[in-house]
This record gives sequence, structure tokens and C-alpha cells, in this order.
Amino acid sequence: MTHAPNGAWFTSLPPCETLVPCGQGQHYVRWEAGELRLASHADPEAELVLAALGGEKARCVEIAEAWRRHAADLTVLSIGPRSPADEVAVTWDDVDTAAQATRGGGWGGFGPRMPRLASAPTAAMARAAIRHQQHQREAGEASQRRLDMLSLLALGTGFQLRLSGQVVAAYADRLDEPGEPGRTVRSVLTAALDGRLAPVAERWLGIDPDQVEVSLHRGAGWGSVELTGQGGQRRLRVSLPAWWLARVWASGLALTGHHLVVAVERAGWPDARVLALRAPGAEPVSLSAHAVSHASGAADAPHWEI
Amino acid sequence: MNREGAETYLRLLAEAAMRRSLAPAAELRAPGASRVLVVGHALTVVGALDPVTAEEILTDLRLAETVRWLHREPAVQGVTAAEWLTQGRAGLRPKQAPVRSPGEGTPGEDADRGRADRFVPVGLTVPFRAGTVSGELCLMSFAQTGSGARFIAAWQVHSPSLEVQLSQHYPGLIPVDEFTVTDDRGARYQLDLSPGSDVAWPNPIRLSPAPPATIRWLDVAPPYRRAVRVDLGCGGRPPVGDTTRVGVCDTKLSPGEHLLVMLAERLLTGTPEFPRRGLLAAPPTSPRQVVAGGFGVIIAALEAAGVLSPLSPVPARLATLCASLDLTGHGIAAPPTLDLPEPWLSLLAHYQRRKPEPTQMREGHAALAASLPEVDGIRVTLLGLHHTQDGSALHVLVQGRIPEPRPGPLDIDLNFPLSLWLRDSGGRWHAARPDRCHQAGRERAVRLRLVPPLTRPAEWVEVLAGGRSAEVRATLPLCWMYPS
Repeated sequence: MTHAPNGAWFTSLPPCETLVPCGQGQHYVRWEAGELRLASHADPEAELVLAALGGEKARCVEIAEAWRRHAADLTVLSIGPRSPADEVAVTWDDVDTAAQATRGGGWGGFGPRMPRLASAPTAAMARAAIRHQQHQREAGEASQRRLDMLSLLALGTGFQLRLSGQVVAAYADRLDEPGEPGRTVRSVLTAALDGRLAPVAERWLGIDPDQVEVSLHRGAGWGSVELTGQGGQRRLRVSLPAWWLARVWASGLALTGHHLVVAVERAGWPDARVLALRAPGAEPVSLSAHAVSHASGAADAPHWEI
Repeated sequence: MNREGAETYLRLLAEAAMRRSLAPAAELRAPGASRVLVVGHALTVVGALDPVTAEEILTDLRLAETVRWLHREPAVQGVTAAEWLTQGRAGLRPKQAPVRSPGEGTPGEDADRGRADRFVPVGLTVPFRAGTVSGELCLMSFAQTGSGARFIAAWQVHSPSLEVQLSQHYPGLIPVDEFTVTDDRGARYQLDLSPGSDVAWPNPIRLSPAPPATIRWLDVAPPYRRAVRVDLGCGGRPPVGDTTRVGVCDTKLSPGEHLLVMLAERLLTGTPEFPRRGLLAAPPTSPRQVVAGGFGVIIAALEAAGVLSPLSPVPARLATLCASLDLTGHGIAAPPTLDLPEPWLSLLAHYQRRKPEPTQMREGHAALAASLPEVDGIRVTLLGLHHTQDGSALHVLVQGRIPEPRPGPLDIDLNFPLSLWLRDSGGRWHAARPDRCHQAGRERAVRLRLVPPLTRPAEWVEVLAGGRSAEVRATLPLCWMYPS
């Protein structure tokens, strides 16, 4: 499904890149066609081997590793941006500060201090030691996950949107499979759809985002959009497939020319053909969309017009 | 039960909270996070949501909110990257109980496992004097189970020390080490006030070591005084005395209804005494108001989780309760109803009084030893009623399928997951709310505070214990004893 007849999910996304402090200089990290590329590191795999042998790991390489670790991490959808306007501004200084806190044992304070052994350890003390080690290990892993996340957020909005799309693509056809511990795939994607569609609906219809009710559409067709009730009882009921998040929302197509885009018929950059609704309850129409340059000149968060 | 529905509901609630925190005007912490916590707790209590999942959702929400505050000023909730990285998890997971090796545990536990429990009403007073401290040990009942043997007792301590007289912190003065206890075979035991090391709760007194189950009596001797003999009978005593009437009826509450009833009773028992009309309302940040303010979403979450029927009458009763207690913003969609349970009405009437009722009750205690029929796999044994100037308390032993504690903001005590009420012989209902608890093995000794306290010595009480599956009513005669 990632490579559907109308192209891979990211076909309507342009490349994006950013500068990352790496070693003594600054290196470009680039996302293109669904992959992260390190322009200044010819052989990242070899660098990883050297790092494993005790050499210093370049930040670019660390970022590529973090990207790979989190490309199917549902937490990305909980923390990442809900819209291009939702800027999660993390600087590389923030990342450095957080890394220092990790190395300084910021997590260690949560664990119980082990008493000095005055006599042979008893069974209870041995168990306490095992619990302590387990706690330290879990805390360390959690700390590393958060540090990864902070680094990925520091890449900027364009990368954040693309990573979200990548995570959705990893699960969109696996709604019934078990997710990570503590996360049911369908629940996470339903909430992700709600968090990203509600602000779009607000801009589309002026409706209170809390009056938007979403569900994941399954089966044939693009889904449904229905407006019911009046005043406080007004509800916009939207049912869209999980793929909408990757193919439409992450590509910046969700609201194009005052239409709610519900599907991409022919993906592409800078021209795509989309299925869009003028109003709830109306039949979707096929429209040509054309990407235009962002006001900033960057193509990180694409902007489309009909 | 729809577990996926429960998780989805909580995630959608978290998204709504996130949306509010992203709104341009949201400079201060949105109340959404606490609401998500309240609903997460409710869903874990009814078993619709794994605590790990609830914690993940809450932790993600916090991380998502606070990562957007990285470059705010500290005055408007700015956080540093280090703080973001090291913030803790939301606490909804039960604390891990320490794993015990065979042979490790409470003294006496396992010694008599498998033997029938023995509960004996005692009703004896043991006067004592130790130095300048004197008083009486009032033995209400004796309970012997697989977890050991203990008296449920009340202490009267007199001291010339003005500080002690004023402070009520007398438990430290109790000369418990100087008492000796001997059984009918000459074996000696120590009294141990250690349950929970709670010096402010000296009512359960463990016998150490645990005596055999077949002993017929115990001599309890205070320092330098004659022993008082406690007749423990010969066993075979019916669990509830002859003069007790017991009735059981099915209730078939859903898990959601049961939770709402517990929350309602928590509100009823948490209301300040005799406030003037208009002052019942709790401040918006009080736990009572936070819980009440979450009722609408709690009810919706329970419905989404399939543990509460949309046709249930309980939400309408909650709406009435909130209105009667001046709790606003509860968000319950159901219109209020006049169909409230009789005990709720009795307690509401108590709160509507303009001034305290004059009490005609002296400090005293009534011996009890009555095991109620099992409700929801839980057996409750009533072990004594105790009244002091601080209030009235019912002592019980809880055995059986007790749910594990679920920490959270709802302020409900799963150590005692039943609704328990007393109706005194004057017809007034008193809610019994868990106050102190000590776990020993598979059972819990619980002190339940009566709200409102007794105001006159009841000749009998009707005990109403309600669970999800059944409701038990037992009428018990009381014989009050008063220290000299």
C-alpha cells in the first residue's frame, strides 16, 4: 500500500534539508523520497563500526540512527506537530543541554540509593539490587528515547511532518496488529487523525474542533464527512482511512483551495490530482492541485492551490 | 468490556486537552491534563484500561505539552530541555509489591492456613497503670485467621501530663510491652501494636507468636495487676449471632455503576460538616471539585468502554447529588432525579442542617464479631464499633478478592471496594469510609470512619454492604461499654 497505484505515500512531498551542528562544523541532513540522507557522510555504516570500536559518533549519524529507531514509533504522533502552524521549536542547544543532563545522571535521582553492604547480602538485598538495576536500565532507555525525540524535533517542522507520515505509513495497513506495549494501533491512529483533522475542519468550516468526531474508515471508498445538529449539538462526523494522515495531511494537502482533500488520486510534486469536498455531505470532486513556494521560500511545509 | 474503546476515548480526551493547550490564549496550564488523569484513573479502576496504557497516554500528553514550552519564560510555565527530558511518568501503575521468599512474611502467617477463621466478640475492659500513666484496654473482639491472631481494642489513657491531655497523641504512651498474655496451655504471647507501625491507630493488637487455633481462652494481664480472662469459646460459633438478621439480594451493578456509586459516596463523605448553605461548594482546585468536574467525561468514558449503560439511572443520581452539594460544572448530561438511595438522602438531609445535632454519646465501644455473607468475592467481618470525641469508627476485617490499589486522583480506596452504610436504631444512616488500613497476607484490617458520627448509643445497627453483584443487610444488636 505504501506504493499504491498513485505512488508512494511521500510522492507529493518535496525534499527538505536542514543544517545540523556536527563535529566542528555544520552538515546538511536531507530528507528525500522517504529517506534520510547525510550529505556530508559518505559511509555512515563505516562510521557506526568505528563508533562501536570506541570512536566518536558523528551527530549526523546519531540522527540517522534515531530516525530509523523512530520511523515506526507511535509516540511520534502523540508528540509531533498537529499542523504546520504547530511549531515545535527545539534548538540544538536544547539537545546538548538535555544530553548533558542524561550523562549527568538526571535520571539517577529517581532510583533508590543502594546502601553500602556491611555484611553478606541477603536475598532481599539481592532482589533490591536487581530491581535497582532494572529501574536504572529502564530509566536509561526512556532517557535515550526522549533524547532521540528531541534531536528529531530539532530537525524542524518539515522533518517532523515527514516523520509523522512515515510512522503512519508503517501502521496504516496493520490496524489490527498489536502495537507497542501500552498502545493499540487503531486507538493511536484515531487520536492522531482527530488531533490533525480537527484544526483543519476549524479552518474549513469555522467549527469548534471539539465538535469534530473522527473514526478510521475501513474498506472501499474514501470515507464520509457529515455535518449534523445545530449550535452546541453541532457535530462534524468524519471517517477517513489512516492513509489520509500520510498521503494528504503530511503532504500539506488537507485544506486546499477551501476544499477538504479526502484522497490523493494521482500523487506528485508539484502537481497532484486530489479528491476534495467543497462542503460536508457533498460529493467529492476531482481537482488539480499545484504546489506553490512557501512564503519563506522553503518547501518544508508544502502549500498547495487549486 | 470494550478495552479499545476505553483507550481510544482517553487518547481523544488527551488530544482535546492538547488542542486547548495549543490555543493562543492558553498561557496557563489547561485543566485538560488533570481531567485526562481523572478519566484514566476511572478507566483503570474498572479494569477497562491497563494502567501502563493510561500512563503512556498521560506521559505522552505531558511531553507533547511541555516540549512546546521549551522557550517560554519560566513565569509562563517555561521548561528547560533537561527538565523535559527528566520529567517523571504519570503515576497510575500500582506499586510493585515486594516478592517474598517462602517463609518470609508476617509472623504467624501461613501457620494456620486452611483452618477455619475464628471471630469472637469480647467486650471486656482491662485496667492498667504504668508509672504515671493509667487507663483501660477495652477489648472489643478477637479475630484469628491464617494471617495471625489479633484483638480489636480501644485504649483509654490518662496522664497527668497536660501535653498528653491536649494532644491526643497517647499511643506512644501505651505500655503494651508490659502486658502479658497466656493461653489455656500456659503458652505466653506478646501484644504487638506494630500493624503498619501506625502509632495513631492502636486498635488492632497482634498476638505474637500466633496462638494455635484450638485455644479456649487467653488471660490478658496488665503490669502488676490481675489478669482478665478472655473466653474464646470452643469454635463452631455461627458466623453471625442468633440475634442477627441477615438478608442478601442481587444488585447486578455494572463496573461503571459501581465506580460511580463509590465516587458519589466519596463526595458524600468528603463534604465538610455543617457548612452554612452556600458554602458547600468546594473551591475549583479541591479534589472534590476536580472529581465532580470530571463526572461528565468519566461517564462518557465508562460508556465508551462498555462498562456503563446509557440507560443506567446512576448518572442522574449523581447529577442530583452534585446539585445538592453545590458542586458545579459536573457536565453530567442526564437530568437530575428524585430517585436517590435512602442512605444518600439521609446524609444529604444531615448536611442541610443548619447546626450540629447535640450529641448524647459518651466515649465507648460495642463488641462485634459478625461475618457478612461474601459480596463480589469479598468477605467482611465486623469487629467492633468505637466512639470517641473524634468521631465514630467501625472496625472490619476484609478477606478475599480485594483489588490491587490503583493510585490516582479519584481518592477512592480499593482496599475496601464496597459501599458500606450503617443505619442506627434512630433511623439515621452513616456512611462508613475507609480511614486506616493494614494489610496482612491476604486480608486487610480496615478502620472505617462513620460519616456523620453517631450522636446517641444505638441499640442496634443495620449494616448495608453493597457490591457489584449483591447487597447484604444485617441487623446487629449492640451492647455499649464505657470506660470508667
